[in-house]
Amino acid sequence: MLKMTHLSKVYRTEVVETYALRDFNIDVKEGEFVAVMGPSGSGKTTFLTIAGLLESFTGGEYLLDGVDVSNLGDNARSKIRNEKIGFVFQSFNLIPDLNVHDNVEVPLRYRGMKSAERQKRIQDALERVGLASRMKHYPAELSGGQQQRVAIARALAGSPRLLLADEPTGNLDTQMARGVMELLEEIHRGGATIVMVTHDPELATRAQRSVHVIDGQAVDIAEEPRFHARGDRAEAHAGA
Amino acid sequence: MQIQPIVAALRHHKAGTVLIALQIALTLAIVCNALFIIHQRVAHLSEPTGVDEANLFVIVNQWADQSSGEQIDAQMQADLATLRRLPGVRDATASNAYPLLGGGWDDLIMMKPDQVQKTTDASVYFGDQHFIDTLGVKLIAGRNFRADEIAPMKPRDSSTPPVVIVTKALADKLYPDGSALGKSFYAMSATPTTIIGIVERLQRSEVDTWSAPFAYQALIWPRRLDGSFGTYYIVHARPGEVAEVMHHAPKALYAQDRMRIIDPKDGVLSFAEIRHRAYDSDRGTAILMGIICAVLLVITGAGIIGLTSFWVGQRRKQIGIRRALGATRRDILRYFQTENLLIAGAGVVLGAILAVGLNLWMMLQLAMDRMPLAYVLVGIIVLLLLGQGAVFAPARRASRVSPVEATRSV
Repeated sequence: MLKMTHLSKVYRTEVVETYALRDFNIDVKEGEFVAVMGPSGSGKTTFLTIAGLLESFTGGEYLLDGVDVSNLGDNARSKIRNEKIGFVFQSFNLIPDLNVHDNVEVPLRYRGMKSAERQKRIQDALERVGLASRMKHYPAELSGGQQQRVAIARALAGSPRLLLADEPTGNLDTQMARGVMELLEEIHRGGATIVMVTHDPELATRAQRSVHVIDGQAVDIAEEPRFHARGDRAEAHAGA
Repeated sequence: MQIQPIVAALRHHKAGTVLIALQIALTLAIVCNALFIIHQRVAHLSEPTGVDEANLFVIVNQWADQSSGEQIDAQMQADLATLRRLPGVRDATASNAYPLLGGGWDDLIMMKPDQVQKTTDASVYFGDQHFIDTLGVKLIAGRNFRADEIAPMKPRDSSTPPVVIVTKALADKLYPDGSALGKSFYAMSATPTTIIGIVERLQRSEVDTWSAPFAYQALIWPRRLDGSFGTYYIVHARPGEVAEVMHHAPKALYAQDRMRIIDPKDGVLSFAEIRHRAYDSDRGTAILMGIICAVLLVITGAGIIGLTSFWVGQRRKQIGIRRALGATRRDILRYFQTENLLIAGAGVVLGAILAVGLNLWMMLQLAMDRMPLAYVLVGIIVLLLLGQGAVFAPARRASRVSPVEATRSV
């Protein structure tokens, strides 16, 4: 579903080049639930923004659903984001001027979907996250957990094949976080591929697989980490 | 079109939305009425007077001594003979006024001697048998004055000459069936005067707004005004010789008799100068109104640019979220264009009502004409185009916001 090979992302200024991702490799299969972990500044979010076609990469190859996205134009990238990818952000990213209904409707409108179909999907998605009764509420009138559920409903309404979640429970208390995780698991059971960036090792254990990002490189814990070969396994575990 | 969510979002930005809509409304109301006034002011600037302006000039002659009426009349006859003898002169006449003078005499016209209410007004010109030819006015019916019909006239003389030449506009006003020639009317007294000739067009000497509806109603009395306050000599030069004759004519008059004053600056006027002076105030008003319109439009455009730029800056994250959710650059551009169209649409609806209301108020208070609705329609189109033009640059900037903005902290 998502395959990056020798991918790099360099931020250049007049005096320095900073590698956010360097020789980054990852292969997420269709229907997988992968947790991406790593310390702050390791490149997790950069990976997620590139994976979600929110920004471009500098080198390497990225195949999304078998399509090489490196040469796609802005419109094609927008179309893929709209039709194949769902986003769940740490800060919810709802549009404050729009009520719950209109927020969920945003990506559907950009898809050019007919009104009747939109209304059905909005109703279904909000029922699934338990907020069908809050359609006319504005984000500011909802709790953090409810806002995140609206964000998930917005992603769900588009029936994305890939759901990218960036610290989806980062701003929530334990109980709300549990509810959100249960929703993500339910979506995964429905067949979606989920890539979730998280700091929380406990949440990561609920994914099928965890990938660590360290200094801009991906280390799949199912594989033999490269730093183990250098004989500092204990230190690496402590750092993780 | 995503009108409903845009309207919903605008409810959260009421102050800016209402202010811009009001600004657009006021601009529309003022610009429509100002354009109407401009049009009214400039419409008649180029209308023909009916005289051969290209080859005419006027000498403003004032007498320097206290001669009797008879002496002045004799002097005028001598002056006219002198002028007609000048090389390059086709003809010359003396009158109390000339078209576009900016003042003059006005007679109240009645159809019956005991009539209380006037039938209409007419501008009065005194002229001899040379008047029509000198001015280059076209006689379309009847005849010119004969020499024996011309008589001197003192300023306080209120007797009505037995014959008169009128303009077609006046003839049609008095006799709409076209039978004016040979018919009579009453002017200064209970004595009737008979229409012996009709000229095609001769504009009134007044250029005030009140006289505009009957700008071509004029009559020519067969008289020489022998008042001591002065005389206008109207001279018709041969084509291409106006400047030369204008230069020599005052010298010839001074040579004939020095007891006169011809202002070296304003005493000899070409018709181009007369036209320019006559409409100076109209032109000034039109220019002022034009500047006001331009300033208002610029301010409104700047207001739209400023507010949209502010909103774009304020909504960068929101734009990023929309882009992340699949909006193309074109979608974002269209969002701001639609938003502006909605605000401007509300503004022009209110503005159209205000424009008509302002016109009605001016009709009542300032005797203005009714403004045709075409002005409002043109104003609406101009304001909507201005809005779209003004919003384009900030909207284009918004469309270039990267989708990665969605992941940035505010």
